[in-house]
Order: sequence, then structure tokens, then C-alpha cells
Amino acid sequence: MNKAAELFLGILTAMGGFVEIGELTFTLGAGMHFGYQLLWITALGTVGIMVYCEMAGRVAAVRRRPVFTLIRERNGVATALLTLVAANLVSLLTCAAEIGGVALLWQLASGWPYRALLVGALAFLLVAVWLLPFEWIERVFGLGGLLLIVFVAAVWTLQPDWGDLAAGFVPRMPEVSSQRELLLCAYFGVALLSSIMLPYETYFYAAGGIEDGWSSDDIVTNRVVVVVGFALGALLSVALVALGTEYFGPRGIEPQLPGTAALAPASAFGTLGLVIAMLGLFFAFSGAAIETALSGAYNLAQFAGWPWGKAKRPRAAARFTLSWIAIFCAAMLIVMTGIDPVQVVEYSIILSVVVLPFTYFPVLMVARDKRVMGQHANGMLANTLGWFYLVAITLAALAAVPLFLLTHGGRG
Amino acid sequence: MTLSIDPHRDVLDHEIVDANGEACGMVDGLQFTHSPPHGRRIAALRVGPGAWLPRLPALLQVIGERLLGRRWVTVPWHHVVEVSEVIRLDVSAGAVGLGRLDRVAARWLQRLPRS
Repeated sequence: MNKAAELFLGILTAMGGFVEIGELTFTLGAGMHFGYQLLWITALGTVGIMVYCEMAGRVAAVRRRPVFTLIRERNGVATALLTLVAANLVSLLTCAAEIGGVALLWQLASGWPYRALLVGALAFLLVAVWLLPFEWIERVFGLGGLLLIVFVAAVWTLQPDWGDLAAGFVPRMPEVSSQRELLLCAYFGVALLSSIMLPYETYFYAAGGIEDGWSSDDIVTNRVVVVVGFALGALLSVALVALGTEYFGPRGIEPQLPGTAALAPASAFGTLGLVIAMLGLFFAFSGAAIETALSGAYNLAQFAGWPWGKAKRPRAAARFTLSWIAIFCAAMLIVMTGIDPVQVVEYSIILSVVVLPFTYFPVLMVARDKRVMGQHANGMLANTLGWFYLVAITLAALAAVPLFLLTHGGRG
Repeated sequence: MTLSIDPHRDVLDHEIVDANGEACGMVDGLQFTHSPPHGRRIAALRVGPGAWLPRLPALLQVIGERLLGRRWVTVPWHHVVEVSEVIRLDVSAGAVGLGRLDRVAARWLQRLPRS
């Protein structure tokens, strides 16, 4: 495949893989409760994940060093182990929520029992990862996720006040009537930032760069895919905030079930809109489940120095293979207990932002180190953004747990 | 190898790659020897939970030993041919006892189709 086609495909898969169940929950919720007031957090988070993934992708391309190898080399075994346990707990919880989301979508479509569909979803994901090569996993689920564009089209039909929407990108103090509401707004802000800057996306992206055999020649591809792909992906997030504001808020519908989100395209385009939205959500949730399971296995293998990679035959990276199988099975068992997948999402999103600075910091340190990266080390812009986001995510990490407790997990 | 290296910065917690280019563990601990006039030198690499657990806080050590045991594999330093971002060996992983669990797991997995 030539470079231009590879770039185009990379952008589309980055865009299609941008939204998962956590982002869906919190973008719709933020729009429903606070209108466009938190839209600037979406932009902040999108630039943040661009900065993080660009650095991790560049380090992977230049030095072929994945994230958890760097964490262990730079921070030592004790800090790396704690980060590994926390990061893999987040991956496990997120994977559980995504599998639950897939089963709920199937239940909505078929009416079959939820638990039987959970087993079906597990079997589907295990077979898909076992059989599909890495690039096809990226393409099938990334491109399938593009069907979520139907949400953007649904917003268009609602004809929102574009001035209000644009004003939402300007950071400002929220207009709230009580301290309780202010705390709730802060909670949604932190959760929204976390749901966009999910660290597993970066582990997967950097490991994927190594799987795809990136070299220094791919630095521009990395930058363009991250910036353009994620910017287009953020359009979907903006559309979801807009649907929360314009569709779910005025109707008083709390989109607690993942499939509820499909109501808006169904209202706009009838059965066709519903089917496209459900398919888009299915690909988005399945893709995220696969990314989280593989990320957990990548992290473990990189921490312990095992052979890893989907490009290898399963028996050539045996412990890595057993790890992703075990993560899928454990994730399915979590939702099999009957716990609400959306509640699992809330825990994973909060834990995720707490872990984020620990995995972000070593990547920043290596990406800016001229001895390691040579001419490809961070320039002034990457360094400025890199330090700015380290401060931003550290503040968010410090605030996350207190806000979760004070707002009873966003229930006020 | 007589290059001037900082064992803790340049060797410890670095990935080990065998003569076939396969990852086969991390340097979890170091074994030193004292040989005048050279002073303290690395005698061997230690790989396995028993080598990294003592570097954890006491409570985690106890939990870790219960879960993972205290075994480690010793790789003599003379097998090290390169110290860079990875520690490269001149032998295969199996020849020095590394990657044993991978080989056991591989025997199970190879019974499955397309493994």
C-alpha cells in the first residue's frame, strides 16, 4: 500500500476508533446537564490525546520503545508495578464495560437474554482477535466506527444554535445555581477529559506503531494521523454533546443505556438511522474492547520482557496471547455478575485519570530527551504542550476521586 | 566487557534480547563481584520475581512472594554482548534457562488451529 493510502486509512481508523462507551456516556451526560458549557473540555482533551499519542508514536517510531518498557526503565520496578496494576485494572474495567455495551446492543436488537449475549460477545471478540491480523483489526473496527457519523448528521437535522455551540469552545466558569451543581459540573468536566484522554489508547497506538514496523520515516504519518484523525474523531464527541443538549436534555431522557443514544438518529432518519447508529456503536464498543484487552496484554508483556505482538503467531508470543484471552474472560465475568456496564464505565474513567500522569510523564521525559531522540526530540511547541498537559492531567487526577465521592459518582 | 557503564541506570530494568532477537525477560536484579583492582563489577543478571520482589516495599514483597514465588534465573555476564536500550545475549533464551513459561504455554497453544 502506498504512503498516501496508508495515511488516509490511518486517519479514518483513528477517527472511527475515537468514541467508546465511556466517552458516549459522559459526552451525552455533559450535554444533557450543562449544555455546551463543557464543550471546551472536549477540545482540551482532544489536543491532550493528540500530544500524548504523538509523543508515544514518535518514540515508538524512532526508538521502537513501547510505553511500559519506558516506564520501567525510567521509573524502576516499584513505580512501574503500581502503574501496571492500576493501568491494567482500568483496561480490564473498560473492557468489561465495552463487552457489556455490545451485549446490551445485541439485546436491544434481538430481545435475547443479556447473560447469554455476554457469552456470545466474548466468543465473537476472542475469535475476531485470534483470526484477524493486527492491521485488519484496526481497519474493520476503526472503519466500522465511522458509521457513528450518523450522529453528526442527526445534529445537523436538529439545527442547533451554532453561535451557542461555538461559544462552548471558549473556557469559562459554568453558569450554575448552587455549589452542588458546581461540583457536579466539575465532576463531568474531569470525567469528560478522562474519557477523551484514555491512556489505553496511547499504549495501543504506540504498540501498534511497533507492530506496523514504523521507523523514523513514519514520523510525519504519525503526526498527521494523530492530529487529523483525532480532530475528526472529536467531531463525533462534539456531536454527542450537541445531541445531549438539543435532543436528550429537552426531552428529559437520561441516556443510561448505551443503545439509548441511537434514539436521536432514529428520530432524524427512521429505521435506517437506527440501524446505522446501532452498527456504529457495535463497531466502536467491540473495537474498544479489543484495544483494551490487547493494551493490557501489551503492558504486561512489556513490563516483564516477554515476546509480544499480534504480528507474531500466538504460540510465538504465548504469554502475551494468554494474557489477552484472560483479560477478555475476566472482563466478561465482571459484567456477568449483573453490574451495570455504565457504572463500570464510571469507575474506569475515574481510575483512568488517576493513572494518567504516571504513564504520561515517562513518555514526555523520553520524547524531550535529545540524547535518546536526537533530532526527533520534542521541539518548543511539543515541550510547551507536553508540560501544560502534565500539569492539567495532574490537577484532574488530584480532583477526580474527591469529586466522584462528593457527587456520588455524578448523581448529585 | 570493560566499558564504563552505570549498572543501575544502563542495565537494571532493561529488556533482555537473546541471540535470535527474541525478548526473553527484564534485568530484574544484578549480581556483583569484587575483583581488585577493578572494584565492584557485574557478575550476572538475575531474571525472575525473586530478583525484583526484594526491591518493593515490604508489604508488597510478602504479597508478591505468595503470588509469584521467589525463583530467579541467573545469566552470567560473559553472555552479554551489547548494552544499549536492550541487553543483548550471545546465546538463545533456552540455553540460559530464560523463557521457560513461554515454551510451556506455547505447547498448550499449538494445539489450537491457526496458532
